[in-house]
Amino acid sequence: MRAYPYHRLTGPVTARIGGVRLRGPGDAREQLDAKACSVVERVVALGMAERTEWQSARLALKATVPASEIEKKGHWSDVAVVAVLTEGATNARTVARLMPGPEGGKDWTGEIELNRHDHLDRASLAVHVVATVGGVEGRIIASTDPDQEWMIDVTAEEPLRNRELDVNTVSFTRGGERLRSFQGAPWILDTAGRMPTVRLNSDFEGLVALVESQGSTVKGILREMLLAQMSSEVWTAVFHTAIGDLEIEDDGTPLFPPDWRGAVLREMLPDVVPGQSEENALREVHSRRTGEGSWTDLQARIQYAAARRAEVAQTLAGAVRDIERIDQGTHA
Amino acid sequence: MTHRPEYLPERLALISDLKAAEYISSGLLEGSEDVPSIALNKSADTLPGDEARLRLDRVRDLIDDTMTRFHDERPTTADAWLAPRLHETLRLTRQEAADKEFWTYMALGVAPDYVVWRHLSEPKADGSPGRVARDRFVGPQYKQTFARLWWAAELFRDGPDYRPVVVACGNQDMLNSALRLDVIDHRPTALALVRMMERGTVRTGREVNAMTPAINAAAATLMYDVIAPDVGRDGEPLRDWIAAAESALPSPRSNLPEGPEEQRAPIESVERLVGHFAELFADAQVRGRTSGEGD
Repeated sequence: MRAYPYHRLTGPVTARIGGVRLRGPGDAREQLDAKACSVVERVVALGMAERTEWQSARLALKATVPASEIEKKGHWSDVAVVAVLTEGATNARTVARLMPGPEGGKDWTGEIELNRHDHLDRASLAVHVVATVGGVEGRIIASTDPDQEWMIDVTAEEPLRNRELDVNTVSFTRGGERLRSFQGAPWILDTAGRMPTVRLNSDFEGLVALVESQGSTVKGILREMLLAQMSSEVWTAVFHTAIGDLEIEDDGTPLFPPDWRGAVLREMLPDVVPGQSEENALREVHSRRTGEGSWTDLQARIQYAAARRAEVAQTLAGAVRDIERIDQGTHA
Repeated sequence: MTHRPEYLPERLALISDLKAAEYISSGLLEGSEDVPSIALNKSADTLPGDEARLRLDRVRDLIDDTMTRFHDERPTTADAWLAPRLHETLRLTRQEAADKEFWTYMALGVAPDYVVWRHLSEPKADGSPGRVARDRFVGPQYKQTFARLWWAAELFRDGPDYRPVVVACGNQDMLNSALRLDVIDHRPTALALVRMMERGTVRTGREVNAMTPAINAAAATLMYDVIAPDVGRDGEPLRDWIAAAESALPSPRSNLPEGPEEQRAPIESVERLVGHFAELFADAQVRGRTSGEGD
């Protein structure tokens, strides 16, 4: 817990995106389908826009702040509520002030504009309550919980927080020198690009058909297991890629990468080093990898974190149940 | 020294880290080898379309001029001259500039000779040769040779005015430390830092290195966007400027070029922060001295 030298709010601040209007060339407008905005996942999928040439998106926002606490405690004046939209990869930062609603400053509403050219992948939206405290203007007295931030995905076609595994099929024998060296392998992971990708070997007989199969037959069960296995390997591989490529501050502090690598680390670290803040966990893992303390001991934790993300246990339990059912069916 | 590539295609391209790794030999990092340009271009993906801004010769000419102009000077002095002109020549959106593969191609396919000229370290005392750090070819935004200049120009320009960029890039400590901080994503903050350098409130690298962390730390409790609001960013002027690249002349070599006609940051906001940062800086200096780290 961080200590602040001034009074802050203890109640929660929450935000909600109610709707999105897109604007394109020649003043073309479009109201984004409500399905593109998931309140449960807190994600907006701008890739669902009908017009692909949109230039800006205007997000309608509502924030709820602990108004009675502000009034009761009386430490704060000039209270303002601001929404901040940022993306590390493009250094984009857009700020909008929200306006208090009619009911005593509990609900604040407003709009924030996302400029398409200023974003690459995902922007996150936070809401801060700012006030004058003890004569100091502009103090941040409360913010949305980092876990509760909204994510605006500029390309996604579905509002999902966790991304689906990107799988593509390629012939390893004909796919260039690098892939040729993996001949005979059913799949490999490519973590070099903007997003990690699984490359399936189309030369491996029956594999593509298996991965693309559907239904709950034996084939379907095998497919689910295979995907969970791949997914677990992907999580392990991206964790290692991310941790192996950290930027280090002059004082030795490792930094979270601004892209998906950072997101992966933030997601997995609580399982790898439980009970620590993100920053401390990152420092711990980094120092172990670079030779202080045991890196080997950590491998089981990394594998555990990856298997959890990939839902290996659930998939396996489901597969065992399904196989029993099939067995019963054949014996009946 | 590493030479200008023998083969230069017509258009700029992208190259992934994975493919690029094959070409970043230790000979190249020591400045003793060239990049096999024909093979490299076979691995690269040419950018689609026929926009003039993505023609390779425009930016290569600029690099040639930079190396000629700063031939007898320390290569670091070239940063302040090249940054605004590189930005104006390429006319990228931030979305495009966030693509690492673009900058990796610039370093390997367009101007490996520049990367070596600019970033080769002095030979060591034991006689081992100087080296270029690998991240000058494939590194993050604030390290990669061309990405850092482009982003410095993008974050320190005041609408069409590149003068603050020249000031910021004229101080290596500013360029190296500020570019890593999120606070400069707020334009009045970036411009206030420049003002303080212009006025001599901060002068030496040591002072810059004392001030920037103090400002960054204060941003955890203070909302600079509320204390010193900026105007909203409108996408239109940038789109017009990019479209105008079709008929644009080469970036002026003697005068400063002009950026997109975006609205400038409000002067009151910048001044407000200058006052605020000066106080923070004074505090940071006092603390530095009492803890025995001062002069």
